Amino acid sequence: MALSPAIKPPPPPPTLPGFEHVKRSWNNNYQSYAARILPGEYYVTRHDEGVYTTLGSCVSACIRDAELGIGGMNHFMLPITDAAPADAWRAASQSSATRYGNYAMEHLINEIMRNGGKRQNLEVKIFGGGRILQNMTDVGERNIAFVRDYLKIEGLKVISEDVGNIYPRMVVYFPATGRVRVKRLRSLHNNTIVTQETSYIDNLKAKPVSGDVELF
Amino acid sequence: MAISASDLVQDISGLVTLPDVYLRINRMVENPGSTTEDIAKAISQDPSFTLRLLKVANSALYNFPSSVNTVSRAVTIIGTSQIHNLALSISIAKSFDGLPNDLVSMENFWKHSLLCALSARILARQAGQCDPDALFTAGLLHDIGELIIFNRLSGLAKKALTLVLDNVDELPVNEAEYQVMGFDHADVGGELARQWKLPPLLEECIAHHHHIENAKRYPRETALIHIANIFAQMAELDTLDPSDVPQIDPRAWEITGLTEESTEPTVRAAQAEIAAVAHLFSA
Repeated sequence: MALSPAIKPPPPPPTLPGFEHVKRSWNNNYQSYAARILPGEYYVTRHDEGVYTTLGSCVSACIRDAELGIGGMNHFMLPITDAAPADAWRAASQSSATRYGNYAMEHLINEIMRNGGKRQNLEVKIFGGGRILQNMTDVGERNIAFVRDYLKIEGLKVISEDVGNIYPRMVVYFPATGRVRVKRLRSLHNNTIVTQETSYIDNLKAKPVSGDVELF
Repeated sequence: MAISASDLVQDISGLVTLPDVYLRINRMVENPGSTTEDIAKAISQDPSFTLRLLKVANSALYNFPSSVNTVSRAVTIIGTSQIHNLALSISIAKSFDGLPNDLVSMENFWKHSLLCALSARILARQAGQCDPDALFTAGLLHDIGELIIFNRLSGLAKKALTLVLDNVDELPVNEAEYQVMGFDHADVGGELARQWKLPPLLEECIAHHHHIENAKRYPRETALIHIANIFAQMAELDTLDPSDVPQIDPRAWEITGLTEESTEPTVRAAQAEIAAVAHLFSA
């Protein structure tokens, strides 16, 4: 194994208020810090650092102000409502199902704008929504459909995406440059990822979102 | 005290055993006095094994021009040494059905194993100086220790897999296992091979496929399994980009005389072959 020279990594850049709890580690490949987010979390930065996550049927939107290089990533899914078809959530757009999605998208976008981002400069990429379990309704497809619809209604264009298919993914995003690295993960990881996503969803059901989503 | 790879294998000895039919075949093959008929008779005593053997013999794995209807014909065509390999593959696949786990589906586990087996057979033909059929079996069994770890130490195994997912740098699963448990699935598989007295070639390939420098008797075969394992991951992920999978030890190319140019044709061929043989070894 190649040994990297023992250079002490620089101190991590400061986080924006509210993101102090997010775990960040120095990454040798990218020569920068990277923040690790879990299902239900998001992270926004104004520094040249990465943000990464692993996605099964969940989706992540990576959004940044392309002029200022401020941006971040979220990671979410809609709660599973019985055996509903992929577009059933549309029928009741203010249902609790879409509220989780709206909440995740609006928090990310609001945070970018609160830090100086301009709506007209926003650049969006979307990832995930894999069909990693064969014998269940395609929740990945439902999550993809939600994000697409949300962005369409908001008038935000997706400039690049890697969604669907059967693979879990690791996504690493650098808001300063917009660079993304998507790595497909082996099926060996399917169940570990499903467990993480399921416990997030169970948590959502236990604690319903309050209605105070900010509009912008 | 912390558990070791050998404790773990002791632990499953009551749950997973090699079936009698394999032990009988093994004795016959090792005895120079036994005839094809003796071996066929030993096989026929186990009807479910016989059925599986004929299924494999008639599969795309061999592409025999005419169908193989009887056990003695299978033994004649396939040859006693390959019957031995095949008996082992079928027996082990079957016995491990009794060792379920929550982390990987048996289907996905055997798919990776079979992609490695197919890649190993192709690479062995290219490299020469080794038995492609033995390499097939080694590829099929190389990760068998994983099933033991997943069943007996599911909590720690989950921790290791989570560590892999938490690392944005490529952290190979075996290294994560080592960090969490102090040994990895190759150690456990190697220990199983020793306790079951599997052929030394298989023992070395299973035990050292991640650390090929430790293979002393079968370095060539072990290096081929090392490469085949990475190719199997490329085939599964449908990629030819080396940065999508763990790095191949450069010594493996030196030992085998192969080059990176084998990558694309081997990965593509394994992908093409898997469909026809996907269900031969899993339940």
